[in-house]
Amino acid sequence: MWKGLSVITDSPSPIVVVLSGSMEPAFQRGDLLLLWNRNLFSETNVGEIVVYNVKGKDIPIVHRVVRKFGTGPDAKLLTKGDNNAADDTELYARGQDYLNRKDIVGSVVGYLPFVGYVTIMLSEHPWLKTVMLGLMGLVVVLQRE
Amino acid sequence: MYSSLVRLQNTFSFFTTVAFVVAAFIAASDLLAPRTPTVSLLKTTNLQVVRGRPHYYSSKKEEYAIIKFSLEADFSSLFTWNTKQLFVYVTAEWPSAGGTGSGRNATNQAVIWDTIITAPSADHLANIGPVAMKKLKRSAQGKSIDPSRGKLSLKNQRPKYQITHPSGKVAEQEDVVLRLHYNVQPWVGVLTWNQDEEFWKWKPLRGSLSKKFSLPALKKKDEGKKEGSRV
Repeated sequence: MWKGLSVITDSPSPIVVVLSGSMEPAFQRGDLLLLWNRNLFSETNVGEIVVYNVKGKDIPIVHRVVRKFGTGPDAKLLTKGDNNAADDTELYARGQDYLNRKDIVGSVVGYLPFVGYVTIMLSEHPWLKTVMLGLMGLVVVLQRE
Repeated sequence: MYSSLVRLQNTFSFFTTVAFVVAAFIAASDLLAPRTPTVSLLKTTNLQVVRGRPHYYSSKKEEYAIIKFSLEADFSSLFTWNTKQLFVYVTAEWPSAGGTGSGRNATNQAVIWDTIITAPSADHLANIGPVAMKKLKRSAQGKSIDPSRGKLSLKNQRPKYQITHPSGKVAEQEDVVLRLHYNVQPWVGVLTWNQDEEFWKWKPLRGSLSKKFSLPALKKKDEGKKEGSRV
């Protein structure tokens, strides 16, 4: 199902969980976003909220496109978080001033609040994983009567 | 064999199913609410081009356009029970050197001003100081939807962002237009932007384009240095 969704939306990760508060109040931590990475009717334009990857960093970032110079795959895009005062130039790789279309994983089209919070909980409190595993083990042991 | 665990599982899965169905209904209810946003005024009031640096530690000098504008728009119909916030932004657009056409086919587009209008139900999420927060909350006391917030009236508004071009040159640029956009952020569902075509009950945003104008020549003395130094 994940693969199918990936093919339909043409995005390597069609569903992402918001990890930071830089797009508040639109997106909080733990909200689930549905991405779309095809340019059927128009190009990725200013105002769209995109998820992009920066070379050398593995955490995708969700921000809004605020500037676009040129068209096509070589267009230069600049992004900024709604909640940040400054644009993202500092987040980009060294010497990189703009994003290209290929850096973008997808544009946000759908929104579901809070559902992804479980993943944040699990990654930020590793002991929760242990507790859950323990609980599962206990259940297995108890159900064998 | 009904162990308490199976019951718990069933309850949980039923709960999630119901939650998803309710969410889907709420998201679909957006379509039933008519949207009739209007723009009655969008024009530039003052144009300036200054030289400055992209940031404090940069030795590079670039030209920055400071475009002041007036705006009158009514977005009150966009506020429904599923509206979390409205993001309104004004872009400047101009064709690239050698290219033709503007507006839809603009090849250079930059946001010069934006604002977040939260619905009263999302006020507590806004990133503002405690005094402003109190004021904001009091402005909509007892109301969960406040369409009056969608009425915008700006006179000679300073831009939030001074814009430039990767080439560093914007002075005397011709065929520049301002365009007003909006983005509705729902509590759950599909994000929507202003559309050019009518879509059932949603009207397009007309008059969102300003008249074409040209940016002035570079200002002689470095008077606007401070303004240009931070972008």
